[in-house]
Parts: sequence; C-alpha cells; structure tokens
Amino acid sequence: MLKVNNVSKSFGSGSAKVTALDDISLRVNQGEFIAIMGPSGCGKTTLLNIIGGLEQPSSGEVILDGQRIDNMDENALVSIRRDRIAYVFQSYHLIPSLTALENVLLPMTFRGANNERARAMGLLEKIGLKERAGHKPGELSGGEQQRVAIARAIISRPSLLLADEPTGNMDQKTGREILALFNRLNKEGQTIIMVTHSLEIAEGASGVIVLQDGQIKSKKNVSCTKN
Amino acid sequence: MKLHQLVIKDVVRRKRRIFYSALGVVVGTMTVVAILTMAAAGEARIYNQVDKYGANLTVVPAISNVDMKIGDLSLGILAVGENYISDDKLMKVRQITESKIRESTCASAKAEDTALSPKLYINTTVRGVSVTVVGIEPVEESRIKTWWKVHQGEYLTNANQAVVGAIAANSLKLNVGDAITLNKTDVVIAGILDETGSNDDYQIFVPITTLQKEFGKDSLISSVDIRVPCSACPVQYIVDDINQGITGVRAVSVKQIAESETGIMKRMERFMLALAGITLAVGSFGVASTMMSSVHQRIKDIGIMRAVGASRGQIITAFIYEAFIVGVLGGIIGYLAGTLLAYAIGPIIFAGATVTFLPQYLPLSFLLAITVSTIAAVYPAYSATKIKVADSFRSL
Repeated sequence: MLKVNNVSKSFGSGSAKVTALDDISLRVNQGEFIAIMGPSGCGKTTLLNIIGGLEQPSSGEVILDGQRIDNMDENALVSIRRDRIAYVFQSYHLIPSLTALENVLLPMTFRGANNERARAMGLLEKIGLKERAGHKPGELSGGEQQRVAIARAIISRPSLLLADEPTGNMDQKTGREILALFNRLNKEGQTIIMVTHSLEIAEGASGVIVLQDGQIKSKKNVSCTKN
Repeated sequence: MKLHQLVIKDVVRRKRRIFYSALGVVVGTMTVVAILTMAAAGEARIYNQVDKYGANLTVVPAISNVDMKIGDLSLGILAVGENYISDDKLMKVRQITESKIRESTCASAKAEDTALSPKLYINTTVRGVSVTVVGIEPVEESRIKTWWKVHQGEYLTNANQAVVGAIAANSLKLNVGDAITLNKTDVVIAGILDETGSNDDYQIFVPITTLQKEFGKDSLISSVDIRVPCSACPVQYIVDDINQGITGVRAVSVKQIAESETGIMKRMERFMLALAGITLAVGSFGVASTMMSSVHQRIKDIGIMRAVGASRGQIITAFIYEAFIVGVLGGIIGYLAGTLLAYAIGPIIFAGATVTFLPQYLPLSFLLAITVSTIAAVYPAYSATKIKVADSFRSL
C-alpha cells in the first residue's frame, strides 16, 4: 500500500548542505507494523514526515494506495490528512483548552462531521479512559495523554498510522501499555509505521528498518526494492 | 464540536489576552461614540434654546462695527448706526410679514395670528442693583412666550405694573405687591414668573409704553420678535424682504442662527471624527500586534490542527471568529465607555447641555469595532496559514 522510491532529502546548499536521507526505497503492505530505528539524527523523523506528507523530499517519490503524495498541493494534502494518514507524536500534542473527548473529536471538527460523539466515547472506552473524558490534558498523566492522542489519530479510520517515538517520554511500564495498545490496533488490521529507539518495540514489530546517516543500514522483513 | 465552539473554548482560556486585544478597539469606538453623543447633546441644546426663544425671526437695529485702525494697531471698535427702531418701521415690518404670510400657500395660517412683539431694553438700577428692564406689549409677548407661567400673583393688566423673572425676584428680594422705582415712577409687582431657564429669569418686564415714557424713548423700540402662525410660513422670505425694504434694521431668522451654529458644530464634529478615525486605525495596529503574538504563542496548536486535517481556510476562519469576538467585546465596552465619557465631559464642553443615552449608536459601535478587529486579523491569520506542520513541532 505504501511505496517509497529513491527518496532523498537534504537541507541547506553548497558547503552547508546536509543530507538527511540518501536514496531510500521501501514498501509497506496493508496490516504491517514497521519499526524504524537508528541513532539520533539519522533521518528517522524526516523519513516519517515525508511519508506523512508533512515534508517534501528533495528527490524521489512517495506513493500511497497508488497515488503520489510527495508532490501534492496543499488542498490535496489536507484531504490525505483527514482521511488516510494520522499521526501520533512523542509529546502528544493535545490542545490544552479542550477536554480529552474534544481532543479526540478534533479531526472530526475539521471534517465538518458533528455526530461522532458516541464513537469518540467508544474509543475512549476502548483505551480505558472513559471516566477521564471530561478532563483536560493538564489533568492527565503522560500515558493517558498519549492514549488520547492515539484515539484522536484513529477516529478518522486512517489507512496508515504514523507514530514518532510515542513512548519516548514515558517510563517503561507506561511505555509497555502504549505499545500494547498499538499492537492491539495492528491486530485489528491497522497499518503502523513507528519511529522508535526501543528494541522491545522492534522485536514486536512485523518488520524493522535501521537507518544510519540517511541510509538503510539493515532491515528485517521489509522489502526495500523499488515498485 | 464545531469550529466556532473550538474558537470560543480557546478564547475563554485566553480571556485576558483577548481582553487586551479588545482594548485596542475600545479606545477608537469609545472616542467615536463619545463625540457623536456629545454632538447630539450640543445640537439638542441649541434647538432647545431656539424653541425657548419662541420667535421665528427677530428684527434689530442695523448697527455696523467699524474697526478703527492706525496701520495695524486697533484703536477699538466703533458702532455705527441707530440703537433703536422707530415705531413707523414697526408698521412696515408688520405689513411685510402679514403680506408674505397671505401670499404663502400655507392654508391654515391666518396673517392676523402672527405674534409681533416689540421690545425696549433699558439698563437701570433697582434697589441699588443693576438690572435689565424690558418693555413689552403684554398680550403680544405672552403669545410668543407661550410657556410663561405666573408663579405668584398675576400677569400685567395695567400700565403701572411689572412682572419679574424668577431669579431677579429672588436676588432683588421682590414680592408680589412690592413697589419698585423706575427712574422716577413707581410700578407695582403684579406677578413673579416661573423659572424658564432663559434670560427672562434675570429680567423685569413692564408695559413698553410705560418704559418709553419714563426713559424718554417715545416711539422707540430695541427689537421686534415675530412668531409666525405656522411651521410652513416663509420665514426666510420675510427676512429677505425686511432687509431689502426697510433701511436701518436687520432681520435674522432664528433658525438661520441655529443652523449656522450647528454648522460650526458639524464641522468640529467632522474634525473630531477624523481624529477618532486615526485612533481607530492606531487601535487596529494594537489588535494586529496582540493577534500576531498570539499566532506565535499558538504555533504548536495551529500545527496540531493542521496535522489532524485543518485546511488553511479553516485556520483563517478560526482567526476571523476570534476577531469577531474581540470586535463584539470591544464594541460593547467602547459604547459604554464612550457614553460614560460623554456624560462626564459633555456638560463641560457645552454648558447646560443634557447628555442622553443614545442606543442608536450601539450598532454603529459594533460595526466599527468588528470591522477594525477583522481587518486587523487578516495579516496574523494569513501568517498563521504559512506555518509548516513539521516546523511547528521542530521548534518545540
């Protein structure tokens, strides 16, 4: 479902030019859970951002469900974000003035869908936060906030869920709970690509890519050929 | 949850900042409302005074002022001309007035109903105090001053009587039945008038013939007040005809005086409103700068919204909603503050003016405040859409 073909990304120019990604190609199939690993600054987040349409590659292409998304205009990207790709961030990124329930409903607000309250409550129940629905992010623990962020990501039923070190800010126990939630979603058929430092997560994933200096250093169960 | 609900929640959370933002428009709308309210009070005062005057036109002796000069040095003003109008001119004034009213198309008007009241003003001393004594035709005067009420005693019925204005009666300690001496003759106080809020309160009124005889001004009068019998009567034609047809007198329409005075006020008002416009513009920069800083503060929030599917248009709409709230808030506060300001300083600017609460300026106030805050929101909103989602998270 996702193809990344010969993607390179560099910042700056001339002698100050920094290459973040160098000729990366990979394929992700429906229902897979791919972990992207590697040392800090190796380009993991940049790759995830390019896949999610948040950044544009310097060269190469990204194809989601047969459609090129790397060169899309702003309006087309908006509809991709609304319907196909969702993000979970390391620092949760909830809106502080909204309750947990309202944060979950936020993507629906921008889609103009106003009758999703019951579904949002259902999702909160699924992640075990039904009782905390009326609480604001400031009143929730880190693990709870991340679960809310995950509920917000999946409410729009995305075909691809991207997560950037979702357990990076957590202690081991909370991290395991979040990971268990991702695994559960994956078992239900959710395709996930996750940037992580954790070997434990990588072991649970269906495939692993290790990046170093912008290139794929090693891989497990991931096809890195073109097309 | 709808977009406007999202904005309202955010506004409630940042209420202090929104309030500061609104202050930017408050100053401008306050100034506009205060100026308009005060101007309305000032105008009402002029028309009120005109109504109190009763007459539609006044005929006075034509006096021209000659500025006596040696080079650029002024030696003073010399008044040239007669100080009085003679009785025969009064006859001509009456003829012109009545014939003009007969010519007019005003069906209900009868020329005989015209009130024409000659007056003679004499400054004299009564009980050692300098006071203006006014000679009047008692019947004609009462037809012009329809609001005159005799508070104590009765109105003038014979030649040796006087009625006294309320303040004059009080300060001279005059009571009904007291005798006062004018030059050599005594007159008896027949009545004391109710307070009118006009010059009448300071004056003593006696029949004109008595005053003319006593002060040697036989057949002379100081002015003639004329009240025409209908509102459609051709006052301006009467004024023109008197000015052209009778030498030595000058007729002025009271409405004309009021209009020239309100004309000056209107010009002042326009000038003040131009200044208020500048205040509004300056205020809009204030709003724009608070909004700009709120964009910077909320880069992360805007990034989140973009990441979960907000379009640029929705981000702009959110800022416009916020500007609308700022405008509504600024409009209400500006209107209230402007009205209060008018109450506070209106009476200082126009002595005796009564400032009234004018609800018709509330919509205007809203319109101004909302327009200004919306215009001020355009650039911040536009720059918010330029935020790149990936950058918004990287910066944190």
